[in-house]
This record gives sequence, C-alpha cells and structure tokens, in this order.
Amino acid sequence: MRTQMLSTVLRAAAVRPTLAARAAPLLARPSSSHAQESFESFSERYIAFFQNAEDLFEVQRGLNNCFAHDLVPSTGVVEAAVRAARRVNDYATAVRVFEGIKEKVENKSQYQAYLDELKPLREELGLSLKEELYTS
Amino acid sequence: MQSVVRLARSSSRAPFRRCLATTAAPSADALSSSSASSVSSRSAAIPLSNVEAQWARLTSEEKVAVHEQLEVLQQKDWKELTIDEKKAAYYVAFGPHGPRTPTSQPGDSLKILLATGALLGAAGVLFYAARALGNPPPKTLTKEWQEATNERALEMKLNPITGISSEGYKGKGFVQST
Repeated sequence: MRTQMLSTVLRAAAVRPTLAARAAPLLARPSSSHAQESFESFSERYIAFFQNAEDLFEVQRGLNNCFAHDLVPSTGVVEAAVRAARRVNDYATAVRVFEGIKEKVENKSQYQAYLDELKPLREELGLSLKEELYTS
Repeated sequence: MQSVVRLARSSSRAPFRRCLATTAAPSADALSSSSASSVSSRSAAIPLSNVEAQWARLTSEEKVAVHEQLEVLQQKDWKELTIDEKKAAYYVAFGPHGPRTPTSQPGDSLKILLATGALLGAAGVLFYAARALGNPPPKTLTKEWQEATNERALEMKLNPITGISSEGYKGKGFVQST
C-alpha cells in the first residue's frame, strides 16, 4: 500500500514539471489580465457595429449591449444607432434610443446636453422624443 | 469596396428578415402571401389615431394588420408622419402591453396603504380585546412577589457560585416586573 502510494507520488513528481510547463498559462486567472476597453474604442466599436447593422434585430441587439455598460454612449454612437434605425425603417427604436439616454444619464442637464448636441440629427430625420409625443 | 458590400447586403435583405417581437408580430412573417391580401384589405379598418385605446381589444390578426400598416408607414420620410402615426408606432413597439405591462395600476399604492392600515387596526383591536377580556396577570409576576422570592433565594443560598447568592452579585435576581 505504502509503496504504491510512494510510487504514485514519485510518478506525479516526475510528471509535474512538464505538466506545469504546459498548464501554467491555463492556470493564470483570465480575469486578472483583462484589458480595459477605453471609451473611445468602445465608441468606435459600436459606431462600426451600427453602421453595419443590417436589420432591426441586429440594431436592437446592439442597443441592448451598448446600453448595458456602465457608461452613457457617446453622441457618435447615438447618431449611428439612430441612423441604423432609420435604415431599417423603425421609428420606435429611434425614439427608444433617446429614452435610453434619458435613463442612463445622471441628471437632466446631461440629457439636455445630449438633446442639444443631437438636435440637428433629430430635425434631419424628423424624430420626436417620447416627451414630445406624450405631452398631454 | 464597402458600398459594394452594402449593396450586396441590401439586395439580400429583402427575402431574409429577422424581427424582434417589439416591432412586427412574429406571426406576421409566418403569414403566407395568400392571406396577406385579405389582411391588407382589412388594415384600412383600424384607425391608427386610436390604436392605443383599442390595442388590448384587437385580435391577433388585427394586430398583425396594424403592424404591417405601420411598417409601410415607417418606410416613408419620418418628417411626413403625423403625430398620431408616430405615437402608434411607438406604442405598438414599446407601449405598456405584453411583456411591458406595468406590474401595478395607478391607484394600487393607495389601496395597499389602506389595506395595510386596516389589517394593523384589526390586529390592534384583537390585541386589546384579548387583554381586556382575558384574566389578569398572575400574582407571581408582581414586583413584591419577586422581591420576596429574592429574599427566600438568599436565605437558601441559591446558586452560590455564579448566581444570586454569589459574592459581588449585581444582577436583579428574580425581579423581572417593573
């Protein structure tokens, strides 16, 4: 019994170096070395995504992902998303994008800043906000 | 180069189209072209201006008809849409129906408040009624009795190591009523 255990231990010891050499990168915690995506690259990624989105499903999936992060998407991303909604002919999704911004920003002045920045876009597309639709 | 890709995509877009449940009813795609004509003929019957009030009572076929009507409308320039059409499009896609039905109605919190108050009141009435109608507390729960118990315990040297008769005891002994 004891000799058997000893031999097992010895074999393990003999095997270990190669195992360790192979397994070391696997055992490193993947979470410890995540690259932090910068806000700019995030924006670029989603602008590219929305510019290439082909149909409503993809646009809405992208919006879900984009608004799930702990940040407010930049105006460039919003513009790309609204234009994508225009491309797939869905008015409601375009309105919903602005509703999502209103939900994500910290205060009303930030929302107003987004609205001011994107006013040309809304006028170009004839887009009303939810507040404008339901004024009464 | 990219425009060529875009062109190829747009040409392939027409036959294959994915939709979320927010925009077109899933059954809209499943409807065959034969029934589409009958649907489009019926679609004129549903006024978009009032779709929000009617939506809950529409049958699924009528909903599909409204979806199709809106889908055609939204292909136009959005500046040409009337506010009713815009509201209908928004309501059908993201309005408070289906999975977005609000979990509570407007008067609900008042109802909950009143019901909670009524239950608390009933419990209070029950408590004081039981106190009023029940027997008085037993005589051993009076302070005098408990002090007498203490005296008796000291007399008998009860619990001499950690308890009431021990050296330097500072507790109240058997006194628990005020």
